[in-house]
Amino acid sequence: MDTIDCLLSEADQAWRGYGVGAADRAALAADLRLDLRAAASDGGDPAQLIGGDVAGFARRLADEAGVRRVRGDYCRVLGTALTGAVLGAVLGYGLLMAAYPVFVRMVDIPRSIDVPIQLAVAVYYGVPAVVVAAGMVIAVRTRLRDLPMIRRTARMMTVFVPVACIIIMPITIGFAWATGYSLAPSVVVTEIALVLAALAGATALARHLSVREGRAASDTSHPDTTRVKPA
Amino acid sequence: MCRMIGAESQPIDDNDRQTQLLRGALDMCLLALLAREPAHGYELVRRMETAGFGAISYGTIYPLLTRMRRLGLVAHKQQASPTGPPRKVYALTGSGQLHLDAWRKQWDRFTDTVDAALRPLDHNPTRS
Repeated sequence: MDTIDCLLSEADQAWRGYGVGAADRAALAADLRLDLRAAASDGGDPAQLIGGDVAGFARRLADEAGVRRVRGDYCRVLGTALTGAVLGAVLGYGLLMAAYPVFVRMVDIPRSIDVPIQLAVAVYYGVPAVVVAAGMVIAVRTRLRDLPMIRRTARMMTVFVPVACIIIMPITIGFAWATGYSLAPSVVVTEIALVLAALAGATALARHLSVREGRAASDTSHPDTTRVKPA
Repeated sequence: MCRMIGAESQPIDDNDRQTQLLRGALDMCLLALLAREPAHGYELVRRMETAGFGAISYGTIYPLLTRMRRLGLVAHKQQASPTGPPRKVYALTGSGQLHLDAWRKQWDRFTDTVDAALRPLDHNPTRS
């Protein structure tokens, strides 16, 4: 990898971190490559030209080029979503505990009817799971209004988070079964970590996809810049 | 106890002052240089140095050139080079020329005002 490639790679990292979309990054890099190669052929050292602060140069260039920036802010999104999940879990568990006796009183299932254990498990875990998913989406949607593309992120979460719940629940139950439904701290922590990882993954994926759509190529070219019209 | 900071206690940093002065005029100077003859980015850096502005970094010129291109003040075309890769040569657009004319007039008014303010009084009023 030559010096120009190294510089462009460093600039690309900076643009990524700055929230510049792939199409704009490619356009900026192509322009810069052409100019640096021309400078190098005139005897200029590309590294010396840009100076030590390549990231600063790259950010300044993105600003001046007027490219659209959409930052992922994954830490904030994940933190808020998982806080919503924890609150949702507490609320869901409380709801289940409160509703269970009411259901028992209201619905008197004859002993002749054999309720499948899978259905009972689905209801038992499903109710809190729905509240957890709702808690995550509501938390992200209401607490992060200042973030760009957050509506789209929340919309995608309404699909990805339930799917993640459906996938991770049998895995977690299987793990619990494999460990003899142990209540040992290490087992319980692993089960919680499995669920949180799945929820975090679904949230990150929703954010990633929504941000990627928001980073469509910017229209930074002025009509006059496509051709030279010497004054 | 408060410490008074006198004007004489602040070191005069010529380079810093020069940078501040140039900040508001750099785009105009670039346009003026391009109005004389189209150039590519690196060439502009050299022209600025030759024009007496000192060593202005490519890291300053190139983003500025990008902004002027976005604003339609300059346009570019790729030009084959006998000694290396093709170059992106920038030239002033019609809009760029209009802006340059307007900025030049504004600059003249501004420097006239500054000159008048800086000119020492050439009469010594005497009191009887």
